[in-house]
Amino acid sequence: MKTDTCNQCTQFFPIPEGADDYQVGKADCVLEKEDEKGKYWLSKPVSDNSKQCDAFRAKR
Amino acid sequence: MNQILDAKVLEYRGKTLNFSPEDPAEAKIPTDELHEHLEKPSTARTKRLKDRCRWKHAAAGDFIEKGVTAGIERMRFLTEAHKASVGQPEVIRRALGLANVLNKSTLVLQQDEFIVGYHAEDPNMFPLYPELSHMAVQDYLMSDYSPQPAKEAAEINEYWKPYSLQSKCTPYFDPTDLGRMFQFSSMEPPTFASGYNSIVPPYETVLEDGLLARIRLAESHIAEVQKEMMAFPWNGTKGLDNIAKIDNWKAMVIACQAVISWARRQGRLCKIVAEHFETDPKRQAELLEMADICHRVPAEPCKGLKDAMQAKFFTYLLCHAIERYASGYAQKEDSMLWPYYKASVIDKSFQPMAHKDVVELVEMERLKISEHGAGKSRGYREVFPGSNDLFILTVGGTNGDGSDACTDMTDAILEAAKRIRTPEPSIVFRYSKKSREKTLRWVFECIRDGLGFPSIKHEEIGTQQMKDLAKYSLSGNGATDEEAHSWANVLCMSPGLTGRRKTQKTRSEGGGSILPAKLLEISLSDGYDWSYADMQLGPQTGGLASFKTFEDLWEAFRKQYQYALQLCLSTKDVSRYFEIRYLQLPFVSALDDGCMELGAEATALSEQPNPWHNLITTIVAANSLVAIKKVVFDDKKYTLEQLREALLANWEGFEEMRLAFKKAPKWGNDDDYADTIIKNFYEDIIGGEMRKIINYSGGPVLPTGQAVGLYMETGSRTGPTPDGRFGGEAADDGGISPYMGTDKKGPTAVLRSVSKVQKNQKANLLNQRLSVPIMRSKHGFDIWHSYMDTWHDLNIDHVQFNVVSTDEMKAAQREPEKHQDLIVRVSGYSARFVDIPTYGQNTIIARNEQDFSASDLEFINADI
Repeated sequence: MKTDTCNQCTQFFPIPEGADDYQVGKADCVLEKEDEKGKYWLSKPVSDNSKQCDAFRAKR
Repeated sequence: MNQILDAKVLEYRGKTLNFSPEDPAEAKIPTDELHEHLEKPSTARTKRLKDRCRWKHAAAGDFIEKGVTAGIERMRFLTEAHKASVGQPEVIRRALGLANVLNKSTLVLQQDEFIVGYHAEDPNMFPLYPELSHMAVQDYLMSDYSPQPAKEAAEINEYWKPYSLQSKCTPYFDPTDLGRMFQFSSMEPPTFASGYNSIVPPYETVLEDGLLARIRLAESHIAEVQKEMMAFPWNGTKGLDNIAKIDNWKAMVIACQAVISWARRQGRLCKIVAEHFETDPKRQAELLEMADICHRVPAEPCKGLKDAMQAKFFTYLLCHAIERYASGYAQKEDSMLWPYYKASVIDKSFQPMAHKDVVELVEMERLKISEHGAGKSRGYREVFPGSNDLFILTVGGTNGDGSDACTDMTDAILEAAKRIRTPEPSIVFRYSKKSREKTLRWVFECIRDGLGFPSIKHEEIGTQQMKDLAKYSLSGNGATDEEAHSWANVLCMSPGLTGRRKTQKTRSEGGGSILPAKLLEISLSDGYDWSYADMQLGPQTGGLASFKTFEDLWEAFRKQYQYALQLCLSTKDVSRYFEIRYLQLPFVSALDDGCMELGAEATALSEQPNPWHNLITTIVAANSLVAIKKVVFDDKKYTLEQLREALLANWEGFEEMRLAFKKAPKWGNDDDYADTIIKNFYEDIIGGEMRKIINYSGGPVLPTGQAVGLYMETGSRTGPTPDGRFGGEAADDGGISPYMGTDKKGPTAVLRSVSKVQKNQKANLLNQRLSVPIMRSKHGFDIWHSYMDTWHDLNIDHVQFNVVSTDEMKAAQREPEKHQDLIVRVSGYSARFVDIPTYGQNTIIARNEQDFSASDLEFINADI
């Protein structure tokens, strides 16, 4: 199994079947951020075989 | 010193009036910090949200908070779709562009928020619009606010150059004329170059029908016309019209499907955060509720107030920031939300809640708007000092049957504004003699707390205007008498229809500015701008020496004004021509019942004309004309040649002469000499010339006198004027307000002057500054109410108030960090005083604080 792709990240959330934008292997990448104004979360579409990014956090 | 304790005593109708504070506790608050004690957020959550609000205000063209920048995602995904859709009908390309942005953009969810959705990839960012104006984007690329990676952003902007609205329109105008417009001193640059825009979204169809129903409607229309096209015998004179209709409906379907998917993705984010990040069970439950709401709306009709607020906010983002940029927050919010208030608060049939929960929801809405960023060019950030964007909603007025439209939803909107104290969104209140006193009390409470809003519009004038403009409808389907009651201010001042159909979709219909102070200046110098740009700024209409009579000067101004009008209004309609062909709004089209029924495009279909153009700095020009007539032609104290010499020296060495001109009669004192000339100026030239122009929609264009922050910018670009003003000083701050400090005969003299102008006007902004001790006294409401009834009887279109002491403004100048909550009315918008540059702050301090004398109270028939 590849260990350097998005689907190995804790922030990878597969899109449920039946959703309008469902595609096999497509997911939401949700990142928690925090700055002086407080916490916020960002979500962007990714696919399971996308290369890991700087925010990658491996699943255990 | 406490000004409130020091309030004067007044003898009136045999009584001694004492203006002690209505709330005795206020007597202990120092006058110069009063406004720091007025904030009362309704919940701990809204207090936290305000404390961490990501304000996007700008001053002197720069964003005030650190870290605010332009994002790249919208322009990236729009461009990607544009490249991939070559060969498809343009309206389909626009829909695919919107869909690509919505499908691929990063979503944002912030701590504590209940209303969700954002228009950029980070809460500190805002999107840009290279398809509108590559010049505006270039502005950002050259600044610290540039989208990153900057190289990619530059490539995108370069890509759009041949396709942008700016490039499409420019070849139809003489570069010399455009160069004059770009000075932004006598005319606002054309829409196609600035990208600045406004809209009144038909929110009601989203809330009442839901987008799935709109999709079904579009699909059924497509099926109908396809069937019609196959029916024998074919008639090419009509059948071919269906091609464009089919494309429009298909584009609507693509846009609505993408919006539903985007909103549901937002709901999914809430659910993921609830289940994987949030640990507080209460917030987890709330996030799951938010997820459910975003899944249902805007796809389905709203059933409760939370649904309605969320669906409305999504629609706002799409219509004002994602499909295309548009300033404003135009809506008749209380009427729109009242059915959902009834469902949730009164009937408790869905999303049951108490009135206080509605107040919290509105406070959250206000904070959400306060952190909405707009990608305006530097020029437009400069002309709104202290502002984010012109977020303005409307409440009050009457229903279609003429009954009072004020409800408990109106009160919740006003109470939230008073409690949370944000300068945005501003509120317009439609004042009717039918407005219930309970609601008027909330209006007054906001005003006397110094918010600068609600600004007040005359109910009957606005409604009649909708009826009058309907007569010019090219389709014969303008507002009915009932629909004419559904209106809101589009931006600061001009009313436009609200509702499911016939609303304004683009600023090429109404908006844009002409600046009479500069036009007057160049009318004195053969059209040449010697004081700022050192160039010919208008036609050659003769120098001062050539004017033998006052009428010669009057006619020279008229010619300068006609030139500016022709250019400003023709550039707007040419913008419209290309908007219809390249900047279609398929999502907005899907919301409008007319577009849906006719298969029409939103920018093309104009059932209700609403043409207007803003006149900014009229009073400097008007007072100057009065001064020339009085001092030169009537009293013959100085010659035009002497005046010319003094103006070229910026009055230096001519102080005695300047004072003679400064002491000439001024607007706002019920002085018949000044008022007769100025009334004629407004009605014959400003309105009379403008209404000769017929716009795209078939209506006569009417002037809207206002100032936004342009009275400062224009002032700084306008040389000395014959009203005694030095070059570079600010111009007048309203559309019909007296020049700052020159209204010396009290508040009712101002009303009498202003009421004399009635003909050929669409709207005119009147700024007034009222005494803090009087307004905060136990007599404050009664005096204000009587004043408002008198204003109404005098048939004046508008009025708005600053109720802020000079002491407090000066204290804020000394220690800005201690006065973050001091809000003032600038012109069509309010701002935190400390966010305004000193130049602008001083113009507000210089406004005359109107006291009420016994004769003023008599005039307004105050029953105290």
